[in-house]
Amino acid sequence: MTYILKTWDEFKNYQRTCYRNYVYASEGLRCMGSTWSVLAPLKGLGEDVYIIGGEPHAASTAGTFPEESREDISAAESAGLGFHSCSYLKLFVGEIVRDKIAIPDGTIKEGYPKPDLIWTTHLCTQHSKWYQEVSRRLGGIPMYAIDMIGGGNAEKDPKIVKYVCDQIEEGIRWLERVTGREFSDELFIKAARNEIKVLVLWGNICALNRHAPAPLDERRLIALFPPAMVDRTTDQTVRIYEALLKEVRYMVETGESVVPDQRFRIVYFGLAHTYGHPEIARILRDAGAEIVASVYTFGTTGNFRGFVNGNWSWEPLDPAWVDELDLSSRRDAISALAKIVLGWPTWQGVRSYWALEQMARAMVTEYKADGLLLAPSRSCETDFRNGYIAIQRIFKNEIPTVEYDTDQVDVRKMDLPGSQRKTELFVHLMEAHKKRVHDK
Amino acid sequence: MMKKGSKAIIEYFRHITENTHEYAKSLQGKGQLLAGYMCTHVPEEILYAAGIIPVRILSSHVSQAMTRSYLHETYCSFSHDCAYQGLQHNYDYLDLLVMSSSCLHMSEAFNVWVRFAGFQQKSFLIPYPHIIQTKPAGGFLVESFGEFKQFIEKFAKKSITDDDLERAIKVYNQNRRLLKRLWEFLRRDNPPITGLEIATVTLASQVMDKQECNQMLEQLIQRLEAEPGKAPSGVRLMLTGGACDDLRIFDLIEHLNYSTNLIFIDSCTAARYFWFEMPEDRPDKLEAIAEGYIGRIPCPAKDNVPGTGEKKRFRFIQQFIEDFKPDGVVFFYQRFCSPQPHDIVALKPILNKLGIPSTELELDTTVPITRFGTQLEALVEIIERVAP
Amino acid sequence: MSKEKILAGLDAGHVNTKVIIMRGQEILGYCTVPTGFDVVAAAQTALNDASDNVGISHGELGGIVATGIFRDMTKVPPLNVTSTVPEYVADAKGALFLNKNSRTVIDIGGNIQKAIRYDQNGNLLDVNQNDKCADGLGIFYTTIAKAIGLSEQEMSELALKSTNNLFIAIQCAVSAESEAIDLMCQGRDIADVADAILRFIVERVADMCTSMSLTKEIVVAGGLAKSQALIKHLSSLMKQDVSALDIPEYVGAIGAVISYEGGK
Repeated sequence: MTYILKTWDEFKNYQRTCYRNYVYASEGLRCMGSTWSVLAPLKGLGEDVYIIGGEPHAASTAGTFPEESREDISAAESAGLGFHSCSYLKLFVGEIVRDKIAIPDGTIKEGYPKPDLIWTTHLCTQHSKWYQEVSRRLGGIPMYAIDMIGGGNAEKDPKIVKYVCDQIEEGIRWLERVTGREFSDELFIKAARNEIKVLVLWGNICALNRHAPAPLDERRLIALFPPAMVDRTTDQTVRIYEALLKEVRYMVETGESVVPDQRFRIVYFGLAHTYGHPEIARILRDAGAEIVASVYTFGTTGNFRGFVNGNWSWEPLDPAWVDELDLSSRRDAISALAKIVLGWPTWQGVRSYWALEQMARAMVTEYKADGLLLAPSRSCETDFRNGYIAIQRIFKNEIPTVEYDTDQVDVRKMDLPGSQRKTELFVHLMEAHKKRVHDK
Repeated sequence: MMKKGSKAIIEYFRHITENTHEYAKSLQGKGQLLAGYMCTHVPEEILYAAGIIPVRILSSHVSQAMTRSYLHETYCSFSHDCAYQGLQHNYDYLDLLVMSSSCLHMSEAFNVWVRFAGFQQKSFLIPYPHIIQTKPAGGFLVESFGEFKQFIEKFAKKSITDDDLERAIKVYNQNRRLLKRLWEFLRRDNPPITGLEIATVTLASQVMDKQECNQMLEQLIQRLEAEPGKAPSGVRLMLTGGACDDLRIFDLIEHLNYSTNLIFIDSCTAARYFWFEMPEDRPDKLEAIAEGYIGRIPCPAKDNVPGTGEKKRFRFIQQFIEDFKPDGVVFFYQRFCSPQPHDIVALKPILNKLGIPSTELELDTTVPITRFGTQLEALVEIIERVAP
Repeated sequence: MSKEKILAGLDAGHVNTKVIIMRGQEILGYCTVPTGFDVVAAAQTALNDASDNVGISHGELGGIVATGIFRDMTKVPPLNVTSTVPEYVADAKGALFLNKNSRTVIDIGGNIQKAIRYDQNGNLLDVNQNDKCADGLGIFYTTIAKAIGLSEQEMSELALKSTNNLFIAIQCAVSAESEAIDLMCQGRDIADVADAILRFIVERVADMCTSMSLTKEIVVAGGLAKSQALIKHLSSLMKQDVSALDIPEYVGAIGAVISYEGGK
């Protein structure tokens, strides 16, 4: 019996509200930037701060308005952005070129709502260049990009933590100068604790998929983490993720799942690609194959124990630990935030091949995978495109492993029939492997 | 060794570009340790201070399709070529491989060497800021370089003193000054040397022992000062873009069906490699080195001034345009490069305002001579017949 | 598998549709027709022509098993395909049938290349398949041969006479065509260009193969396997001997027949 999530609507509503707040705000501050940054500092500017993040916005637009997305990408290319550039970037810039914005409540609004400032980060070589282009096109929006450095064990390296903290601290002074507002440490610290809490909660929710049957499938997972991407600093986000955690724990206790028929458990490395995902999912579903774990979905807004004695662990952190965190001062909060974001699996894996390999190995073991499905995006550098090919080479002799190229939004870069064929092949390989193991 | 004129010296440099391994092994034969490096963010001075010769890893320009099961096919061919050479064991003779965090394509090429080409035990990755203009970047770099220095001391089994570092800084600064002087010949209407020849010399310098390189450069510049200019100038073309060590492209530019001169190359395999200096005689040598690397022309992958989002590189490009007075600009970048095309989108309006026509060349492993030639000649046509 | 039944294996590929007719372990006849834009019509023609070659009528066939990229499209009247089997399964069975010692087959097709590893019974162990920029290599070969005025066989024979190492080193097969033409415009020897083209194809195939373990003996299937120059390059790049199967383009069709009713 398929379990229907009770908290589903709350997540969708939250996401829609965040976008509406940004688009329709007549007062307050509009902030734009990568939601891979630490977001809490923005909230130190007041209670009327509205955020739009490039990645979740592009993803939700592509999913909700596929035709608009194609027009946006086309507009960005006509305006000079290259074919090989990040599709999220092109979609986002394309909206600015066309002077309209589409949001997940179904609205396409004429007139792009200009941000007051851009607060972003930089890790892949397109990341902050994205917002340089946006700033330029919108007449020179002030922008501050934090260099997150990344890499394996980054959160344990005092040099890296200090480097990121110093930038955040400098960034806060910049926020005051640019907005003319006095920064409230009280609001900031509250937002910081919420931000850390949400990341830890999401990690706990993902970790429950280690059970069999896994309570959540990839389709639900990729729909449930965006609110944490959109704005994870509010009391409301904490509430909805706490409620979700409670619900998923209940599902585990009762042995329920959103997809009860799970013959094969898959670990997936790839972005949530809006185009082709349903078709690929159907092929897997028909074979009872479910993606139970994904580095991107888990590790972009989720934290885990990370490296313990040299080995990666997907064991979640205790949410109670967040309540006990000493965030007495601004620097304490900055340091805690820096460490938690540097601890994201995604920040670590992008700049460290050995970290990515360790994560893959641990994920396959802890989630008892029957197969490893790799789907690098042809336009995203942060999507470990740099590592997936090597991962295939390493794992192919150990576990059924198939790789197909995809793209997070640009349909032209995805060979859907070819990817479907490879997915069928993947199912076949898992079946053959299972049969061999059984016959032994 | 040098019998007559500048030609023989330039020929020597060209020979090095075509026989890099032979040259590097000859240094090794004299007892030198060799460290290969990818990209220009590696502090060569620290290696040199330890008595290690840095040798830049450059393309081989042969087909490297065999790398597509090691790194993604949508990574630039420069990174594929570098990865390929590691897998082919062309550089096994190196004592060490060093890399600073760079663009993701080159970082992955480095990963391939470490993981699959046997360099796991003889490699070092220097953590390097991804935005070079952040306020704490300097402090971070000093710490990073400090860790690197400790590693090199252990590797080379010798202590690196402040005097060693200062000597290295001065040798490298001298090299940079000499290369700069060489390029400045092209500001003249009638230079005694071509852009292709200077590009060849610059490329060779990136794999040479800098002391030897400096001696050769001094001789070359001395001879050039005494030589008359070559044929009257044609259309002056400046190149700006990414890594390009394929001299055939520069050769093509200077041998079109029109009279053209290559007058400047702003790329990490040309001007961006040397167009800066380290502060000398500072008490804190690592700080001086960090300051030098931070202050130079930024790589587009690392160029984003916090607070404004400015691309600092553009200031240099505009200065080059003012100094070298190109009639046209050729943008060139590796296919699949991410940061370069983003800069071009923002640079083009600036060139349009300056009234300078431009074109783009997307580079791959091989040079489509005919196609590129047509494109370049179209640019020259525009410059000669259309541009004001 | 019934020894009396006459079975047809139908491999509906991107470029060509191949049919083989077998009785038991005996190959009675075969036929290839271009697929064109009508898969069903091509399949029908191939079946009819193969049946004619063997001297039987279509109705005498005891069963038709389809494989190939368009296999699902053949499940319509009047073809009355009995069952279908995925290409990689068919390739493994077919390769093993043609060479009992083989344990890996590399199939270089019109659009897709595969490396398939199998056990002594032809059961799948692992498969790797190309993607995106390495698609269409077989089609590219056909097209470029036409562009330079040669048949595919002529181009392959010419490649063996190459004396200079030329490279077509560009990213994808589409760009590779313009690069090959660029080389011709520069006056390069046609034998060298032909060799560069074959090497271009083989590099992508060999590269794909290196990311999985290959068990000897390694055999090659698909139309391009008939090219000696290709086999030479493949062996060299993979640093091990590979050999072309007999009637390599019919490996899939043979495997389809072998797979009938779960046969070995």
